[in-house]
Amino acid sequence: MPTYRPRSLAEDLRARDDAALGALLRARPDLLSPVPSDVASLAARATTRPSVQRALDLLDRFRLQVLEVLCVLPEPADEATVSKALGVDAGAALTDLHGQALVYRDTEGGLVVPRTVLDVAGQPGGLGPPAEQALLVYGPRRIARVATDLGLEPTGDPVGTARAIAALFLDAQRLDDLLATASPAAREALDALAWGPPTGRLDNAGREVDADTATTPVEWLLAHGLLVAVDARTVVLPREVGLHLRGGLVHREAAPAIPEHVTTPVDQVHVNRTAGGAAATVVRQVEDLLELWAVAPPRVLRAGGLGVRDRARTAAALDVDEESLTLLVEVAQAAALLAAGDDGVDEVWLPTTGFDDWQDSPVSARWLTLVRAWRDTTRTPGLAGARDQRGKTLAPLGPDLDRTLAPVVRRAVLADLAAVPEGQATTVESLAERLRWRAPRRGGRLQDDLVTWTVGEAGVLGLAAGTAVSRPARLFAAGDEDAAAALLEAALPPLLDHVLLQADLTAVAPGPLGSDLARRLRLVADVESTGGATVYRFTEASVRRAFDAGWSSGDVADLLSRHSRTPVPQPLSYLVEDVARRHGRVRVSAAASFVRCEDEAILGELLTDRRAVALRLRRLAPTVLAAQSSADVVLSRLREMGYAPAAEGADGDVVVRRPESRRTSAQRSPERSAAVPPQPKAALLDAAVRALRAGERAATVTVSRPTADVLAMLTQAAAGGESLWIGYVDAEGRGSQRVIEPVSVEGGHVSAYDHLRGAVRSFAVHRITGVSAMDDQPAP
Amino acid sequence: MGWGLAMAVNGRLVTDNGRMTDGPLIVQSDKTLLLEVDHEQASECRREIAPFAELERSPEHVHTYRLTPLGLWNARAAGHDAEQVVDVLLRYSRYAVPHALLVDVADTMDRYGRLRLEKHPMHGLVLATTDRAVLEEVIRSKKVAPLVGERVDPDTIVVHPSERGHLKQVLLKLGWPAEDMAGYVDGEAHPIGLVQDGWVMRPYQQEAMEGFWHGGSGVVVLPCGAGKTIVGAAAMAQAQATTLILVTNTVAARQWRHELLKRTTLTEDEIGEYSGARKEVRPVTIATYQVMTTRRKGVYTHLELLDAKDWGLVVYDEVHLLPAPIFRMTADLQARRRLGLTATLVREDGREGDVFSLIGPKRYDAPWKDIEAQGYIAPADCVEVRVTLTESERLAYAVAEPEERYRFASTTASKTRVVEALVERHRQDQTLVIGQYLDQLDDLGERLGAPVIKGDTTVKERERLFQAFRIGEISLLVVSKVANFSIDLPEAAVAIQVSGTFGSRQEEAQRLGRILRPKADGRSARFYAVTSRDTVDQDFAAHRQRFLAEQGYAYRIVDADDLPSLDAS
Repeated sequence: MPTYRPRSLAEDLRARDDAALGALLRARPDLLSPVPSDVASLAARATTRPSVQRALDLLDRFRLQVLEVLCVLPEPADEATVSKALGVDAGAALTDLHGQALVYRDTEGGLVVPRTVLDVAGQPGGLGPPAEQALLVYGPRRIARVATDLGLEPTGDPVGTARAIAALFLDAQRLDDLLATASPAAREALDALAWGPPTGRLDNAGREVDADTATTPVEWLLAHGLLVAVDARTVVLPREVGLHLRGGLVHREAAPAIPEHVTTPVDQVHVNRTAGGAAATVVRQVEDLLELWAVAPPRVLRAGGLGVRDRARTAAALDVDEESLTLLVEVAQAAALLAAGDDGVDEVWLPTTGFDDWQDSPVSARWLTLVRAWRDTTRTPGLAGARDQRGKTLAPLGPDLDRTLAPVVRRAVLADLAAVPEGQATTVESLAERLRWRAPRRGGRLQDDLVTWTVGEAGVLGLAAGTAVSRPARLFAAGDEDAAAALLEAALPPLLDHVLLQADLTAVAPGPLGSDLARRLRLVADVESTGGATVYRFTEASVRRAFDAGWSSGDVADLLSRHSRTPVPQPLSYLVEDVARRHGRVRVSAAASFVRCEDEAILGELLTDRRAVALRLRRLAPTVLAAQSSADVVLSRLREMGYAPAAEGADGDVVVRRPESRRTSAQRSPERSAAVPPQPKAALLDAAVRALRAGERAATVTVSRPTADVLAMLTQAAAGGESLWIGYVDAEGRGSQRVIEPVSVEGGHVSAYDHLRGAVRSFAVHRITGVSAMDDQPAP
Repeated sequence: MGWGLAMAVNGRLVTDNGRMTDGPLIVQSDKTLLLEVDHEQASECRREIAPFAELERSPEHVHTYRLTPLGLWNARAAGHDAEQVVDVLLRYSRYAVPHALLVDVADTMDRYGRLRLEKHPMHGLVLATTDRAVLEEVIRSKKVAPLVGERVDPDTIVVHPSERGHLKQVLLKLGWPAEDMAGYVDGEAHPIGLVQDGWVMRPYQQEAMEGFWHGGSGVVVLPCGAGKTIVGAAAMAQAQATTLILVTNTVAARQWRHELLKRTTLTEDEIGEYSGARKEVRPVTIATYQVMTTRRKGVYTHLELLDAKDWGLVVYDEVHLLPAPIFRMTADLQARRRLGLTATLVREDGREGDVFSLIGPKRYDAPWKDIEAQGYIAPADCVEVRVTLTESERLAYAVAEPEERYRFASTTASKTRVVEALVERHRQDQTLVIGQYLDQLDDLGERLGAPVIKGDTTVKERERLFQAFRIGEISLLVVSKVANFSIDLPEAAVAIQVSGTFGSRQEEAQRLGRILRPKADGRSARFYAVTSRDTVDQDFAAHRQRFLAEQGYAYRIVDADDLPSLDAS
């Protein structure tokens, strides 16, 4: 018979020391916001459903197993019985669970699981409900008949009878005797349910049967209470029976330790180089992407995101596959380098002003910006291309790509990768397996997918090669980001200032070029291949493009001779000269437009006409005027003035303006929701524990001091920045105790930081029932 | 430790374990490999990557190789494995090699040889696998199903001998190239020996023959003028068996015959010609593509030649020109050793995969410039001469129908004048004028007072003129594209191309090859391409030249007006 052991979680908590309370708050930071006023409310908060759910989601497999065992065992349990039902020692895990207030001890030290925890834990270990609880779905008559069939004397009280049946099932000897009389088919049915799930479907389960009317093995089981019909079509195996069939073990196998990494040796130097190369590549690709979109921005889809065709086009232009492109755009957006902006007509994707700053930083700093944004974003590039429930394809940069789990998994996977010794690679399966052990309740398909994506993305972003991480990545995972960047910077190839020109009209930059030189080469030649080196090809079109942008053949020749280590090949010089010749010998300048007319007199008229002043015309040659207004404006103005001007086409021998490189305004990274509250700082924890203690005392001590004393203490605390606890009665007359940190005392009111609310508020001095300094409370 | 302390030594990056990160090779994301030729490790690196990477371009400073599935499978066929390839890439690469690329290389190479064609002691030809899933995958393909028979065991399935080639083609297309281990028939034995009097086999010819023989079947890639016929003769001497030689045309057939008589123990009676003119079947028979692909009422009438003898070796000259029907016939010849000879694996029709599966993998290749450097072929100086059209020609060109434009631009009177000037300039040299349009050639022949060789010139007349040219009786010939292939004009020192088959890159290579044979006086050859400025002629010329520029033969471009000063500087 259980002895009455009156004790609650609150009492257990109250008995703990400051360090233990601090540890609890650190493990379950959600309890801190707001800071509970006293231990009773802390206990209440700790047993709310959301908080318990959050705590359980963070438990590893073994701690969950221990908790499940506790849920299964009759209360109160002790360490020995738990260890026995688990098959391994549960001591350390129990200490943890107790520390997290998921279990408390009664006066005799027995372990008790709070009600909410039981509820949230669900069917622990795949076991059914206790027999007593299960049987009570039957009416009294049927319970009595089950008891009779089991050879028990019904007491007339259904609860008592059910309890007696449960007691029989708990007696291993009597249960064995009963099972010995079961037919082989009945045993088979039981064994099928033994390791869960504990419920089975049975048509016509509701039929009331007893030992005499039972015709099938399952009906025999129902008659003897070894199965209980919970509704018309479902039967369940009572917990006691299930546990017995399992040989007293709640779990088939206890998992006290995290599965080991499955490792294979790799060449760490190679890993570092490969990852370093990928880091440089991803930085360059993001730069190329944004340079491209600055000039030719893709439209934002009506539903948000990037269109299929724009995605394919951009991927082809950057020479990356579409999955990588999705990653690049999502990371660029997460790093606030890319945002939706307005081009006057449509919403388009444009680089932000932050892109310019980013571009000016060293490669390693740019890389750090990208990987940090990637790690912390809830955006999940791997989901793009999949379909949502309505069958709509999820677009990159579009809605519905946020998953709060993503940053959590990324951090966990990075840390776990960094835990593999240098010179070793693990496997994706191993990482997923370990993560499933770490947080089994959180898991599921998405978590496994996220592990795979994280590894793949880490490779693209230059943190890993395959499933081995580089040294900078280890530092990054450990939080030493600056050191990671410095290490990467040292390993990057130095920037070059020369190319090799060849007679087949190509130029090879045998390494990364400074961005200014690279930009100029990109203008005058087409990029044919990228990677460690860049291959440029000069074509008539590319050279003309440079001329269109205002270059002269002298500029091209100058660029080539200055940056080539070898003589400029004759065919290349010839090509440049040939294009220049055919370019119509037109001098290209920075005027916005120009006006050309064979009749010099007309141009003379224009120059003196007051109506044309706004166009800011300038004579370049007898028959040419340059204008500082755009061609459209000049055209329409000249038409207004009665001339009949004709526009010159862009494809001929006239000036073509390059599209402007544009930016949208600075943007913050997209909001992300935190899956886990930030880890509280030590000072906050201390303050919270002290506040709790103060609250405790407030609840037990009546505080009363003369108003003058109150005022003096408040003023003194405001001056010294100390915390006080006060008794306070609000406008509705409700009394409360709070810990406050007064800021100022004025006009009968005190402004103070209220630790209970977590905000600064104003208290009327006359409503303060008492004040006590935090320090004059003796330590408990 | 201390990887972070990478330090600059002589401006080069060194890691702590002393590994230079300054190799000659740069791996690009599009799977091209850039090799810096002036690097001290360049030639060593070239040797190591040549087995698995296709040389795509070899201009003066940086050569470009490409990793393709075919190239990687070629390497597998030659006994290299993925680990070696990855190791070579990592060893010589200056920068980090993208991880995905290495994974892809390993995956691709791993696909070769999962399926093997073998001789089964009881069931004859079978397709066997080391990976049951792959076999299951391919036999479920609709294209494979009709080619295979009974399942012998879970890993083996019977293949009808006649489908051996076809099956290999289909499997290659499915991405699971089969390794052909089924061996070859010896064929009817016939003694053939090399007669090395006054000449010896060059080292690369020996290597090429050995590479081929070791591999069983396959393709040898050598530049024009590098002596591919010798490689063929050496292979025949190795096989000691009756041989069928397939060549492009009758002139080439006579050329082969001439060479074989000179280089081997074979006598007149042992060599047969099977062409439009003659139908001889002898122990060594030389047949033309043309006669083999002649059809009467939709039936190939000369197929019996393939079965006329128990051939021990089949030689394909100019593999890159192999017409489609010959591919189909070759599919039936899979039990015989096959040797393909070519200057380039580039096919304008993109059927490189068929060459791989039906003739065999590439067994040997050497870039032109290497052989030139060894002095076996003459250096060449390529000059494009741009002719500025007259006002009236430009107007006529502008209003010409688009399909007539190339012809018009190729045959302008301005061009003819420039050709005359060039011929005059090289009065002392053996000169060829090569063109596409017959009336243009006739016109040029008349103006220059030179004989014209074209399609309707009789074989006898052709040979007479070639002989006269050879011994220096005449120093100028005007030839149409019949002379593109396999004629031997040892002392041609200058070639002037006036028009071509649009932008055909391999034609340009063939024509340049005409003048690359080493000259008695060691002079370099001169190749002129005369083009009309600002017309499609110029554009096509640019396309044609790309192949040669990529082979390291860079064109200089000069204006016709500047010709007098061409050799002044």
